Amino acid sequence: MFRGCKQFRKRKDDKMKKSISFVLATLMASSTILAACGTANTSAPASAAAPAAEPAEDASSGSDGAGGGSELVWWGWTPGSPLNEQYIAEFNKEFPNTKITWKQTTVDDYDAAIKPALANGEGVDIFEVSAGSANGGVGIFGGQAINMEEALKGYLGDDYADKLNEASLKSMTVDGELKALGVGTVYAGNLWINQDLFDEYNVKVPTNFDEWKSACDTFKENGIIGFVQGAGQGAFNMDTYHAICDNIQPGLFTKATRGEAEWTDPVFVQALDLWKKLFDEGIMQDGALGIQQYPEANNMFLSGQAAMVMMGSWYTMNCLPDTMRANMEAASSTDEPFAMVPINFPDIAGTGNVGYVFCDIDYATAVAKDAADVQAATDFALWLGASEAGQQMIADSLNLVPVLKSVSPNWDKVVLTNPEKQNKPVQEYLTNAMANPDNPRFGGISADLNQAMMDVLAGVASGTLSSADGAARLAEVE
Amino acid sequence: MNKKLSIRNNGMVWIAPAFLFLLIIIYYSIFYTFNLSTMDWDGLSPTMKRIGADNYTKMFADKVFWKAIRNTIVYFVITFVIQNFLGFVFAAILHSDVKLPTVHKCIIFIPTILAPATMAPVFRLMFSPQGMLQKFFNTVHIPITVDWLSKPQTALYVLMAIVVWEFTGMSFILYYAAMSQIDKEMLEAAQIDGAGNIRILITMIFPLCKGTTVSLAMLGVIGALKTFDIPYLITTGGPDHATEFLGTYIYRQGIRQSHLGYAAALSVMLLVMAVVGAFLTNKANKGE
Repeated sequence: MFRGCKQFRKRKDDKMKKSISFVLATLMASSTILAACGTANTSAPASAAAPAAEPAEDASSGSDGAGGGSELVWWGWTPGSPLNEQYIAEFNKEFPNTKITWKQTTVDDYDAAIKPALANGEGVDIFEVSAGSANGGVGIFGGQAINMEEALKGYLGDDYADKLNEASLKSMTVDGELKALGVGTVYAGNLWINQDLFDEYNVKVPTNFDEWKSACDTFKENGIIGFVQGAGQGAFNMDTYHAICDNIQPGLFTKATRGEAEWTDPVFVQALDLWKKLFDEGIMQDGALGIQQYPEANNMFLSGQAAMVMMGSWYTMNCLPDTMRANMEAASSTDEPFAMVPINFPDIAGTGNVGYVFCDIDYATAVAKDAADVQAATDFALWLGASEAGQQMIADSLNLVPVLKSVSPNWDKVVLTNPEKQNKPVQEYLTNAMANPDNPRFGGISADLNQAMMDVLAGVASGTLSSADGAARLAEVE
Repeated sequence: MNKKLSIRNNGMVWIAPAFLFLLIIIYYSIFYTFNLSTMDWDGLSPTMKRIGADNYTKMFADKVFWKAIRNTIVYFVITFVIQNFLGFVFAAILHSDVKLPTVHKCIIFIPTILAPATMAPVFRLMFSPQGMLQKFFNTVHIPITVDWLSKPQTALYVLMAIVVWEFTGMSFILYYAAMSQIDKEMLEAAQIDGAGNIRILITMIFPLCKGTTVSLAMLGVIGALKTFDIPYLITTGGPDHATEFLGTYIYRQGIRQSHLGYAAALSVMLLVMAVVGAFLTNKANKGE
């Protein structure tokens, strides 16, 4: 009886196990099939499939009226609070019914944060993009933005292209569509120096390799870092390398990024040799590869620990005493603002080719296809990137060079820390920068070339890679 | 009716919600990642291109991938040995009659609870030629230049030192707990038989803590494979990929370079290695 009962229970258990197995197998299979259905679809995510809402012909008649108003979220990484909120406040003077919330991420986290947000299709109405392979590259994120061309035509007229910086349109055009409106351009390829330190130690402003080295040596003897670079942050190494290339043969770097020149060209090998020489000869500070440009190198310069730094036009804002004081405090310095001035990248190749800078749109404003109110979002992008009021604000902050050609900093209103030392070089620098020929900073560099270049520069600087091998590695990038 | 009852009696009804949750969230994600690893996709563009095993072929030919694997192995072996040796020794010392034991425990454990994001800038400065360590060497006239983070040959070892500093507290606390379970009379008997402290530590206490060592090894393997925050925040994987790990490389490929398919292939490899690592350590534990 007992045995029979046991056998019965065993059969029951076997049956039960089979049932459980069946249920599990069914669940697994259905889950797999569902998953396969979801993923085997090689078309777009839902958000991208939504039809693009085009802005109205007359973008100026936007959402400012007495309508219900809109609530928008603006994503970005620059210039950062409180400047973005100030822009919004100025915009709201003209468009009081549009409420915009600024959502900021760090420059390094931007891509990781915006990608899923855009793919989700909600919560991003306006977002910042940049040119080429920099963070927020328009080539990647532009697919989620509307075409702004018609709106811009409606706002500035058919000759809008003549009124705006060429790069602002060219670098933001993807597959023939204008995906974002540039707000301001940045120029790089020059150095900034602490003029007060140069004066105090009677150091000649360097114009060639020997003078640069001599200046660094003098500062070092006085306990100051001559030139500081956070070479652990690759983008700034690329700026220095680009400047060296332009010093040897202007324009060849840009040609190579466009496939019109080979990276194995002797110019690029020579430029890598000179790059290495900066480390070997002590122009780059000790341990440069171990620190970042931001915050360390920036802090060292702003706190007076270093006399020279490789920064671009975005650094001009530090010529304003209030901005500089705030940034110095952020760099743990309680000193008074000093006179910093831009200088040309020294002629380290001895060619006489100096004064070349390269530029990109620092950031541009894109309107998401899935924006809660495309019209209101477009109004904001147009106001910031194409209106006199918006662009004047950008110009006077000295953070960026405005894209609207009719606008320039109001020098009667803008007072620098030391006008006597700074006014002339700063104004000349900005004028020269704006007159430079077509020479994109990151605009023509793909993400893969960007990574390869950062690797090569770090490898050559640290001695694990020869210049010739480095150039060959750049040439391998498709 | 009977069938329903038997299912209920076997607890299927009760585990179903958790099981379904696990199935949907975890296993679906794994399958999705695997599927993605056969695609060429930037993460946003409307078209995905199926490329079969190309991402895997590329991965096995990728020097940076192998460098990341090598770094992971070196990192695991060195940090595991040093961290657990120190944790074991500290635990043994604090089981003897030391003064202010709570203070010592806090000092050892505090680094474990500090966020790497907070400590990263401190370490970047500390290990730079403009930092505190360099100033210390200068003050005591030791001619050493602290540029270790900037050199591919030394950067990984600096990171390992930081990790040992940070996670020795974890090993210590687990060994301390394990030692608390050991029968003191057994140790006293050994002492009466003439065994010295070091011998007791090596031949009795350490074997009795084997379970803890295996658990720490398993956590160590998985932790080494998942390593991201410390190298990313301190060296961003550089210089020249000298401190690249699978985690940082996946992020670099997936986010920075928008090769989501390739990043997914690397993730699948990471998963396989984590499963194999856990299996081997588990087997080592049962193998006695």
